[in-house]
Formats: sequence, C-alpha cells, structure tokens
Amino acid sequence: MTEPQPRTGFLSPFEVETPEGAEGWEAMYPYYLLFDPARRDQEERRFWFYNGMHFPEPMPAFDTITAESCYLSIGLYQGRVFSIPTVLGIEHRVVNGYVYITSNEVTDPDEIERRLQTFLPRIGHYYANWDDLVARWQAAVDDAIARLTALEIPRLPDLEDEQELIHDHRLGSNYRLLTAYDRALGLYNELNQLHFELLLLAYGAYLTFFQFCSSAFPDMGTQTMTQMISGYDTTMFRPDDELKALAAAALQHGVDAVFVERRPVEEVLGELERSDGGRAWLADLERRRHPWFFMSTGDGFYHHHRAWIDDLRLPFSAITDYVARLRAGEDLSRPRERLLAERDRIAAEYRELLADEQRQSFDEMLGLCRHVFPHAEGHKFFIEHWGTSLFFNKMREIGQVFVEHGFLADAEDLFYLNTHEVHEALSDLGLAWAGGAPGRGTVYWPPVVAERKRVLDVLSRWTPPPALGTVPEQVNDPTVQLLWGVTADRLRSWAEQETDAVTGYAASPGVVEGVARVVRNVDEIGSVQPGEVLVCPVTAPSWGPVFPRIAAAVSDIGGMMSHAAIVAREYGLPAVVGTGHATSTIRTGDRVRVDGDAGRVTILR
Amino acid sequence: MTLVVRFEELGAGDVERVGGKCANLGELTGAGFPVPPGFAVTTAAPAAAAGELAAAVADAYRALGEPPVAVRSSAVAEDGAEASFAGVQDTYLWRRGVDEVLDAVRRCWSSLGNPEAVAYRAERGIAETRMAVAVQAMVDARVAGVAFTRNPVSGDPATVAIDASWGLGVSVVGGEVTPDSFLVNKITGAVVRSRVGAKETECLPDPAGGGTATVAVDDERRSLPCLEPEELAALVDMARRVERHYGCHQDVEWAIDRATGELRLLQARPETVWARRPAAPAPAGAMAALTATFTGGLRR
Repeated sequence: MTEPQPRTGFLSPFEVETPEGAEGWEAMYPYYLLFDPARRDQEERRFWFYNGMHFPEPMPAFDTITAESCYLSIGLYQGRVFSIPTVLGIEHRVVNGYVYITSNEVTDPDEIERRLQTFLPRIGHYYANWDDLVARWQAAVDDAIARLTALEIPRLPDLEDEQELIHDHRLGSNYRLLTAYDRALGLYNELNQLHFELLLLAYGAYLTFFQFCSSAFPDMGTQTMTQMISGYDTTMFRPDDELKALAAAALQHGVDAVFVERRPVEEVLGELERSDGGRAWLADLERRRHPWFFMSTGDGFYHHHRAWIDDLRLPFSAITDYVARLRAGEDLSRPRERLLAERDRIAAEYRELLADEQRQSFDEMLGLCRHVFPHAEGHKFFIEHWGTSLFFNKMREIGQVFVEHGFLADAEDLFYLNTHEVHEALSDLGLAWAGGAPGRGTVYWPPVVAERKRVLDVLSRWTPPPALGTVPEQVNDPTVQLLWGVTADRLRSWAEQETDAVTGYAASPGVVEGVARVVRNVDEIGSVQPGEVLVCPVTAPSWGPVFPRIAAAVSDIGGMMSHAAIVAREYGLPAVVGTGHATSTIRTGDRVRVDGDAGRVTILR
Repeated sequence: MTLVVRFEELGAGDVERVGGKCANLGELTGAGFPVPPGFAVTTAAPAAAAGELAAAVADAYRALGEPPVAVRSSAVAEDGAEASFAGVQDTYLWRRGVDEVLDAVRRCWSSLGNPEAVAYRAERGIAETRMAVAVQAMVDARVAGVAFTRNPVSGDPATVAIDASWGLGVSVVGGEVTPDSFLVNKITGAVVRSRVGAKETECLPDPAGGGTATVAVDDERRSLPCLEPEELAALVDMARRVERHYGCHQDVEWAIDRATGELRLLQARPETVWARRPAAPAPAGAMAALTATFTGGLRR
C-alpha cells in the first residue's frame, strides 16, 4: 500500500499577490476574515474555494455581513443543531476582497457515530412535522420583518423633546441610535438564522434524490432532476406576476402608450399623473407593489443591488416589455398545466426505466423533494429580497444621520465601513453630539471611504483563482457538493497541469496505471506483455486476441462504439479512444494512468 | 430440407434454423421496422449437395431482384445476450451476381475456423458452431453507424448513444474512423453531447466492382456533423422502438440511404455488457436514503 501523496494543487492563500494599487485592502475587513501568517501552517493545508456563486464581486466593507450572517447560521444548524454526522460548518475568508470558503468536516468514525445518534431523532422530527414547521417558520419571518419595518432610526436633534426625556424618561437619541443599529443588525441575523433552519433539510432531500438519480441515470444532469421537482406556484413567481398584472392594467386604463422603451421613469410617472387612467394605474401600482417590489435586482448579498421599490427602472422596463407583448396579442400567463404535465411525464418515463425494487424509493424521494420545494424556493423572497432590502434601507437611514453630522458625504458611503466600524462611528457621533463639538469621524471617515472606493475599483478588475490551498481527499459536505458541485474529482481536474496528458472519448470506465506499449500495427501485437497498456493508432477485430492480456487500451482514432471500445467494455478494461495523438505523445515504457471515466491518459514517466 | 428462407417468413424463434442474426432480421421485418429485404441460407445448407444449394441461393437472389448484397455469417450461438461476437465473424459487402454471392456464402462458413473466432468461443466456452448466412440488399449509405439504447460508458438507460460517419457503417463498427458521436436523452429529446469526429475515411461501393473501397474524406465533410437534428431524432425514435419491441437494451446498426434519405435498420442485438451487471442497490425508502446522504453512505 502506498500512501496517497498530498497535493498542493493550488496557490497558498499566503502567496496570492495584491494587485497594484489595491495595497492595504485588508484594512476594510474585520480581523477574523483575514488569513493570519501566525497560523499559516494550519490555513494553507486546508482547501479554500472561491464562492463566486453568491459573492461574484469584491465585498464592500459593510456587505461582508451578508456572508457572515449566513455562515453563522449554516454552522449553527449543521454543526450544533442537527448534528450532521460528517460536517460542522463553513468558514470564510476574504482575499483581495473576494470571499473564499472551506467546510469543516468530521472524519473520526467514533465522532461520526456519536453525532449520528443526535442527528437521527432531530431531523426525523423536522421531516415528520414539515408542514407545521413551515407554518411556524413563516410566522417567525413575518414577525421579524414587521419588527424591522417598524424599527425607528432616531435623528439627533438640536434639543431633545421635553415630553420624551423629562416626563416619559426615554433614552436619549444618541443611545437610541446605537440601540437601533444593534437591533437592525440583530433582526438581520435573526432572519438569516431562519434562512437555513429548513433550507438545509430541503437541500438534503434534493441531494439525496440527485445522488439516487446520478447513480441510476449517470447522464441525467441537474437540470432534468430539477425539472422533475419543480412546482410552478412558488412565491418567487409572484413579483413577476404583479408586473404582468400591471401591464394588463395599463391596457385596461388606456395608458399603455405611456410605456415606451428606455423612457426615463420620472417621465413615465409624470405623464401618468396627468390623466385619470394614469392615476388609476398608479393606484394599482401602489396596491400591488407591497411587498412584492422588495425584490432585489441581485441575489440579496450586495447593498448596491437595489430593490425594485427603490429603483423602478427594472420593473418599469419589464412592464414596458409586457405591455408590448400584450398589445401584440401574446398570452403572458405561465403554461402551468402544460409544465406540470411535462414534469410528470418525464418523471414517469424515468421511473419506468428503473428496476422494480428501485421504484418505491424513487417515488418517496421525489415526493419529499416536491414537498419541500415551495419552501426551498419561496424563502428567497422573504430573506434575501424583502428582509435584506429592508435591512439595507435601515442602514441608509443611519447613513443619512452620518451625512447630517458631516461624517459622510453620502448615505451610501456607510457601506464602505464594516459593521464594527459603523458601531465605532456611532459611538463617536453620539459622544460628539452630546459633547457639542464635531467628532473625529468628520475628518477620519471621508478619506477612508474615498480610498476604499478606489481600492474596490482596482479589485473589481482582479480575477480570483477558483481555489486556494490543498486539495482534499474527498468532499463530505452535502451543501458544498450540492450548491457548488465541488467534488474531489472536479478539484483534481482543476489542479491538473495540462502537460504530459492526452484526452479522448471515455470509452470504457475504470482507472488503471501501467506501463505503455505503443503498437503501430497488428504484426507487433506479439510484443505486448501481460498487464501493459496498449497504445495504438486504431484497433480492428484482428486485434482481439491482445485484449485478454492488457490492462487498458488507448487509441488515436475511434469512438465510443469502435471495436477497441466495445471489446474493452466487454473485458472490463478502461479505454480512452479518439485521443488524436496518443501514439506520438506516449512512448513504450512510459508509466501512464488511463482514466476511462474521464477520457484522460496521464503520463507519469 | 429448407435451404433458403426469406426474412419475412422468419421470427425470433428461428435461431436454430437460421442463426441469431437472420432470426432477428426476420423478427424486425415482421414488426414493421425498415429492414432492407433479404433471405437466410439455413444451418441445414452446408449438408446439402453443392448444386442444390447453388440453385436455391440463385433462385432466392433472383427473387430479390439481383441487387448488390451484404453477405454475413449468422451463427446459432451469436447475437444472444451472453456474447456479442462483435466483429469476430465475417461480412462481405457489396457483392453482385450469383457467383459473388455464392462465393461469399462459402467464405462465411469457412470463417468459423478463423483464429479470432476460435479464440472468442474458447474464451467463453461456446461449443455451438452451427452457422447460417444472411444475404441482404445493400443500402448505399450516405451516412451510417450504430446506436446503443443506453450509454455504453456510463450505463445510463435514458441515453441513446449514437456513433455516425460517412459511407457504410463498417467504418464505425470496425473502428476505422473517429466518428461523430452523439448522446441523446430519450425522454427529453435533448442532445446531451455532440462531438464532431475526424471521420478520416469512408467506405463506398467500389466502382471497379466486387466489394467496397475505402477513400479519404475531404476536409470540409470531415468537419461537418454527418447527421441533421431531424435524422438524429428519427434515429433515437427507431432505437427506442426496437428497445421497446424486445423489452431490453439494444445495440442497433443503421444506415441512411443516399438516394432516398430513408433511415434503414440493418441489425439489432441485445446490449451485452451492462445487461450482465446488477442494478445499483436501492436504499430502503427516503429516510434511509437521507440518512445515507448526511452520513456519506451513498457517496460513490
């Protein structure tokens, strides 16, 4: 037995260079999000991958709270609540402004067993009471959103109100401002705790179904799996449905001609104000937009992805498009019945291809996925869109207080301070207001904000590498596998250097290492020694007798069903065919690894 | 003693009489698939007097209209689910006239003694050596190839895998070219993967007569996919109907006629590799599967 060699396939996080002009980027982030040379050994031995799916841009200092708040919750539930046997939580770091993550896995079999004992009853409770728990979840989210909506951000007045302070003994505005900030942050965290409570279990159901399908139908692809699960009535369709309804209302009120492509929103609103039909339409808008216009124009992880409610350009351009389509006689309603029928047809035909004993499991797993689907999709509106947009708007109100007292030039500038710095700045402001002289913040923050904007602009042009650190033996975290498709195999292919290898059709599965024998014509097959890897231009039936002797077959030309491929499969040998130039790249005596699953031959020499 | 039988008169139950390939072609003809017409020279024929055999074959060949034909061995032991005999036994293409046909029939019988065929049978412990011969009208193929009703590499039973190249299918089956390769989802109709192969050569009827000639394909046709989307869809549909007809996965040889553009079914046999593998064990219900997901039990 040889020990697998540890691979450092990727750059160490400590070797990543800062792009010119972005020096000092670290200063805008909390200390715990940065790699520390004092624990370099530990950190570079781990595997970090760029979470470009959720965080595709460099993080403005404040916006790191969106990542932090999510990872607080994922780790809480995976590690400490559900006690998922093989995984704890996800850690994240910021490198040149970009978010890298790693998951903490459990590998000790005794510990996995111990965690399993807690895990089974706990998740059993969730799946058994799913509908009740979803209803309770919705009530908790509605309540948190209501509290966030009602949260007052106090201004700092010249003089406090006599009634409030002297008779009602309220807290002073400076104290209340600090408290309001903490409350807003707390409510945002509360929403994110709820974010993952049921979601991880829904993803677990998906992953289980996906794993079953990938085993029974290796070519299926997540798109078809998703299609079998999808329902078409989720909350996430609702905002778009409201836009369609508003487009229909424009025709109904006879104001459809007002909606012209690329016309500024102010002009459209102005014209609507001037007619009865227009005012009726505006009343419809007022009625329909709450809360559905809390849709973010992004995914709810960056402050600058404004909600529709704050930036009507996106919904108005969609309405304009829908108006045009309605005028052209198009039916905008979703073909729900047809989509569901197609979904059910696909599921039924896949089911038909399964062995009898697999069908019950298929039914149960698919049933569970469809049951959790509305939550898995619908949660986004409440957490990432409504809740997060509200939270960012509360922060803008605080930014406005800073503007009023000369700390910031613009309310949006608050987002260039991280959450801890905002707290510091509020302390500064509260003291300064009480003390009666301008705070240091008035001279301290404006240049910091300007510098950070410049640095982020530089970082936005940097391309983050897909991963850093050391490739793991395997990836156990179901969330990581499902959301990012990160598996150990994928990582190895990312890390692999493109020299000394040929690729072709994966003609017959299996991976084997052996010594290559390059054979250019059938007369030479007598030279092939038992256990060697046959490397040849092409094979024909006359080559048949060599197959029982070889470990694998590689050919320059041929397809999946060429002779070499068919015979290799019949003998259970890995084969890669149609490589183009195996006989000129590989030499007799080379040690090669033939990967018949990936269609790749690596020369190890 | 029956020496010759037309495909229309044969069915799956006739393996003993006419070998696996002919019985199959008869079965498929009867099921309405577009199989080129032909006849079987039966397993009883080798014992017949030479003159009698020649007369029977000549009559049947004339009844077919004396077209160019393909002559192939059809062993009683071949084309079963246990062994594919892929390429081990003989095929003579584009034979014209009674003499060429008779010559090819005799050569098929003598191929039983080929070293490859002997080794193949020995390897699998096959003692059965009775053999018939299929004589079938040639399709002048513009494009031809093979179709598997499951992905032969991944084993996915919902995928039809197609290899196709210009000219006669022998280029693809014999591994003489790198063909175009398509994976099509038979349920959604989606083309999962499509790769244009180099299609280095094509096999065409030899203008000098007597068989086929292999010629180089020009660069432009090499770089073009040799199947149009509608042809691909028709092929997937036919492969799936053959699979449904037999109730198991099939390996189908097909060709598209140069003159008419019609799709022809040349051969179908049970898929032999994945059929021998047991299905993946299914977890007992959703909860067990979920537990396995979170504990790593289902991971491959």
